[in-house]
Amino acid sequence: MKRLAISVSALLFTMVGVAAADDPIVVRQSLMQAAAASAATSAGMMKGEIEYNPTVAKAAIATLYGVSQAYGDYFPEGTQEGDSDASPRIWEDMEGFQQAIADFQTDTAAAVQAAGEDGPADLAAFQQAIQPVLSNCKDCHEDFRIQDN
Amino acid sequence: MLRKSLYVIVALVVAAGAAFWLLTQPERLDGSALAAAGPGDPDRGERVFWAGGCASCHARPDAEDDALLELAGGRALETDFGTFIAPNISPDPEHGIGDWSEADFANAMMRGVSPEGEHYYPAFPYSSYARMDEQDVADLFVYLNALPPVAEAAPANELSFPYNIRRGIGLWKLLYMHDQPVVDLPADAPEEVLRGRYLVEGPGHCGECHTPRNFMGGQNFDRWLAGAPMMEGEGSAPDITPSEDGLGSWSAGDIAYYLESGFTPDFDVVGGAMADVQRNMARLPDEDRRAIAAYLKAIPAAN
Repeated sequence: MKRLAISVSALLFTMVGVAAADDPIVVRQSLMQAAAASAATSAGMMKGEIEYNPTVAKAAIATLYGVSQAYGDYFPEGTQEGDSDASPRIWEDMEGFQQAIADFQTDTAAAVQAAGEDGPADLAAFQQAIQPVLSNCKDCHEDFRIQDN
Repeated sequence: MLRKSLYVIVALVVAAGAAFWLLTQPERLDGSALAAAGPGDPDRGERVFWAGGCASCHARPDAEDDALLELAGGRALETDFGTFIAPNISPDPEHGIGDWSEADFANAMMRGVSPEGEHYYPAFPYSSYARMDEQDVADLFVYLNALPPVAEAAPANELSFPYNIRRGIGLWKLLYMHDQPVVDLPADAPEEVLRGRYLVEGPGHCGECHTPRNFMGGQNFDRWLAGAPMMEGEGSAPDITPSEDGLGSWSAGDIAYYLESGFTPDFDVVGGAMADVQRNMARLPDEDRRAIAAYLKAIPAAN
């Protein structure tokens, strides 16, 4: 229950961040942090470091879904400058970038569907639902983020 | 007097030319080292293939999955020296390496010398592959020859003077190519760390991006794996020594998991050119990723 509370508060924190900041760079970075936290929760369960819990799994999927819906809106022209690792390729190939976001949305929507009302029943079901979602991270970062790791 | 000076100058120019010619002579492998390697094994060769990252340059740009095994070449590396285009290394006899002998292949990999006896440009990371085991090269050769042949020519390099003179690479090799291990390890170092050294310094060719270079493109071995600006494109390859700015705070398990999944300990994700490398590393057995991690934790920290 405590873990659930943490996941939910992480999600709410993100929402507040979105409402409070009007700097698109700050907003999109905080959205990515929410995605990263959900990926960490997911991987922790898959690695067996966190005990599997369907409600926590559902929260992770819901957060990633929320991020996928909002993320693409915070790359207006001009925000390639500033404290950002966003690659100039985003603005050179906005269509390709939005396609990558659309793929992310499709995969997270499918995971939400699979999670159902109570979250994925067991770890294997969760793994099957979350893996396609997490593969989006790499696909998009490969093309659209300036490499620093 | 004038005539005498002229003779001296001509003699000096001829001597310099002869010295250049001798020093830059493409040097082939000693045949006995090759003979010591047994017949190649394609299954072992596949492991070498992913460790060496061959597909990242030699598959068609943006190839995925099975298309990674069609080594048509064509990927362009845009550097300060010009644009290097990866050649076709599929087993097509005309456009690829189908008519090469095992010795031709070993000389390309470990000496950077073509079957015609010319130098290759070090964009092909033979100065790392020079540290490979002959047997691994023999295994890789058998594996490559079993991949689908692709009958198409890759475009030529686009280089300007003086980098278009291949013979000059002989000097570069004399200065910067060493087939000995970079990091000295004690003789009783754990087997895992030694295996990691082999993978990182040899086939994995990690130093090609993560070690800074001088204006001639030679690696600065004093700054081994200490991070460097990318040779092409934006960004940099980070410090991967156990320093504060590098992997100091990562456990060996974190490094191995990153190579397997692409996720950093704080769940940032691999990006840029490293994404391809990570995909290759994910195909290795877990013990190889753990060996790489053990080595990266064992080497001196950059400061």
